[in-house]
Amino acid sequence: MAELEKLGNFTADDAPKYEDILQCMRCGFCLPTCPTFSLTGRERSSPRGRVALARAVGEGKMEFNQAMKEEAFFCLDCRACTTACPSGVQAGSLMEMCRAQVSQQQPLPKWQAGFRDFVLKKMLPNPDLLETSMLPARLYQQLGIQWLVRHSKLLKLGPKWIDKAEGMMPELHQPLRQNIPQLSPAKGEKRGTVAFFLGCVMTLMYAEVSRQTVRVLNHQGFDVITPKAQKCCGAPHMTEGDRETTRQLAQHNLDLFLDLDVDAIVTDCAGCGAALKEYEELLAEREDHQRLQLFHSKIKDISEFLIEVGIHTEGLIPVNKVVTYHEPCHLCHAQGITKQPRDVIKSIPGVEFREMKEANWCCGSAATFSLKFTEASQKILDRKLDNVKDTEAEVLVTSNPGCHLQLAWGMREAEMSQPVLHLSELLGEATPES
Amino acid sequence: MISKTVIEQLIDKLGKENVVCEPEDLLVLGYDATPGLHHAPDVVVYPTSTEAVQEAIRIAREEGLPITPRGSGSGLSGGSIPAKGGMVLCLNRMNKILEIDEENLTVTAQAGVITLDLANAVLAKGLYYPPDPASQKISTIGGNVMEDAGGLRCLKYGVTGDYVMALKCVLPDGSVITTGGKSVKDVAGYSFKDLLISSEGTLAIITEVTFRLIPPPQTNQTMLAYFDDIETAGKAVSEIIAAKIIPSTMEIMDKTTINCVEDYVKIGLPRETAALLLIEVDGHPAVVEEESAGVQKVLKQVKATEIHIAANKEEALGLATARRMALSAMARVSPSTLMEDATVPRSYMAQTFAEIERLATKYDLIVGTFGHAGDGNLHPTVLCDERDADQMKRAHAFFDDLYTKVLEWGGTVSGEHGIGIAKREYLARQVGPGGVAVMKRIKKAFDPDGILNPGKIFFDDQES
Repeated sequence: MAELEKLGNFTADDAPKYEDILQCMRCGFCLPTCPTFSLTGRERSSPRGRVALARAVGEGKMEFNQAMKEEAFFCLDCRACTTACPSGVQAGSLMEMCRAQVSQQQPLPKWQAGFRDFVLKKMLPNPDLLETSMLPARLYQQLGIQWLVRHSKLLKLGPKWIDKAEGMMPELHQPLRQNIPQLSPAKGEKRGTVAFFLGCVMTLMYAEVSRQTVRVLNHQGFDVITPKAQKCCGAPHMTEGDRETTRQLAQHNLDLFLDLDVDAIVTDCAGCGAALKEYEELLAEREDHQRLQLFHSKIKDISEFLIEVGIHTEGLIPVNKVVTYHEPCHLCHAQGITKQPRDVIKSIPGVEFREMKEANWCCGSAATFSLKFTEASQKILDRKLDNVKDTEAEVLVTSNPGCHLQLAWGMREAEMSQPVLHLSELLGEATPES
Repeated sequence: MISKTVIEQLIDKLGKENVVCEPEDLLVLGYDATPGLHHAPDVVVYPTSTEAVQEAIRIAREEGLPITPRGSGSGLSGGSIPAKGGMVLCLNRMNKILEIDEENLTVTAQAGVITLDLANAVLAKGLYYPPDPASQKISTIGGNVMEDAGGLRCLKYGVTGDYVMALKCVLPDGSVITTGGKSVKDVAGYSFKDLLISSEGTLAIITEVTFRLIPPPQTNQTMLAYFDDIETAGKAVSEIIAAKIIPSTMEIMDKTTINCVEDYVKIGLPRETAALLLIEVDGHPAVVEEESAGVQKVLKQVKATEIHIAANKEEALGLATARRMALSAMARVSPSTLMEDATVPRSYMAQTFAEIERLATKYDLIVGTFGHAGDGNLHPTVLCDERDADQMKRAHAFFDDLYTKVLEWGGTVSGEHGIGIAKREYLARQVGPGGVAVMKRIKKAFDPDGILNPGKIFFDDQES
């Protein structure tokens, strides 16, 4: 392989592109949309500041130092700045690149690196291993939370993170992947066939939600194929900066799903959806362009899919509730899907939809951010909960497991009685059993 | 390097959370939105009161540190870049709206309040603050006053400075003065507030501003007109004014700009059209109807290719937002953008466009032009790559030639962005040695030691 040209103080592999950094003209339009800037008032914790730090590293004016590392991980990767940026700067993606640089430039001590690799490279990519035992205690280990405990100091986890991690655990059902049939047939008149991408967190923690997703799709007239051999989408690896494992997982899923003859590949996890849509860029150098495009064109969030094919509302059971909606960052900012989930909610008979203020402002979950920066995360969450309260809605709907965990936990702590439901659960409530 | 004791003194007076001196923090507080300019400060302070500003200035003066005020750093001429290092005095934590006076129709706020927050707060009380610079979502009112920021509504409503009634500020010697007040008339002595408007932080640090407010227009109508050539668009502007109609907004975008904006907002702007005008009339419903009809009549007379009336508020807002995105959207297609702020008497608009076109060809550059057509204020923007030294040289030559013409026509080198670092040479050409000398004497009267924002507006004696 040809030697890659090195950009300043970045290493050659998985480094930001200089063009992407230069794109920022420092207009500052991103500042009011950034939760971490809003929280700290610190320029380096803003998209503009982070890109400027990356630029200094790229121009050799600054080492890839501790501050760069901190900002790479303090960024929520919520992509709100991407939506706001008229110049097309992808500060979130740039920070993901910088996370990949962290593991290259500031390697962990061997034993720590070993454990991290075990979680990211062995455990998550292997669904069987991940699901062998579903006792909650084991789950903690499987998800690497034990590893987090051991390294809480190293990761600068917040003081109360362990309570939070415990408190966030939802009631667990059997993981869905093991007992969902390979083919769930359409009910009534068949409209098509879709593949279902089942996210790790969904199958492990929100099995019931995904069961509803499949049931809803069946009821809407779609055969649902759920291939057992599918693996993690790679998002956790990407956020932790392990791009190589991400690529391997991506390749596996791409090959698996492209072999199926389906109209669409549907997911009910916004995080997975965003990651799957990014395969095109991730694998650009090693995979056929047309195959990548085909794959991308088939990936659909559940709401995106239902609105595209037209949701059948006849026969739905009315849900007489006031509903508000929190937009997952990885749906609205990363995928640009804002109207469809609202349209799905509004299409359910009986529902009164009430828009909340700052619906597209991050909830503070952001992968492991909520455990690493408990205090910052809490403040971002409080802002969200205040906006939820103001709507006086009876149900809070969202469509991403990370947000779901964070919001459900936050509302319990704040003694708010409204349930948090996934969009599929709300639609499931309206969908008759037979 | 700054001494540890100075930092300690600052922390003692302002609080630890309001003093920043880590190199990475300093690095990101050494720029604004002006391309190619950067200089890191030695320390950054975030005062939260006028008294804290006084303390910071006192310490800086004792240490001989230059002081550069900063809001959100969205300026376009380098005004908030600490050109000589020293202390950056960041006012964005002084962000309280202190009073909305419904009897006197004024608002008083701290300098770090975000422009749009102020506009929204007074609107909630049924009042109107018209100045709306493109960066209003993030710009601060202190910065707006210091640069005398304009915006999209200046043709009818004027610029920031037209709304300033009083300023509270700290002088370089640490004393506090309030100039102006809530009285509609005030001719007592020198009008310091007018001297401070657009002084770019070189005379005093503003900590509080009182603005005059007006009742909001009852309704408005937004129109888009497309043209086959840019001269016709220029002609439409003059004809509308000649028909005695003063629209609240009359913005122009050329083909390059239209395409860049459309790439980002995707609201169906016509990519093939040579120019478009975004026109808004506002006021009493009867007046709006009459003026809207008048504008449409003129547009038909000059043969606009298409006239489009915004169907509702959302669409109108979308169009104005699209226009605000122009500069940043152009940054999308090229690594660097060099924007200027040439302003001519309105009657020279068409010539200015022709000159821009001629010079773009002469210097082989891609130039997108947009701006406030009604004000004769254009923003020709060169799409370039700062790594290409030859191209950058040509870009500067382009602006050099353009400003020669602009000055010949009685125009100005800056309509609303200020002089800062970027345009000192052009200012000297505009006002001449006599003009610069007077400005320097005024500067000396306020700031005899030259510690406030040195290196801005004009060259230091030893520099030139």
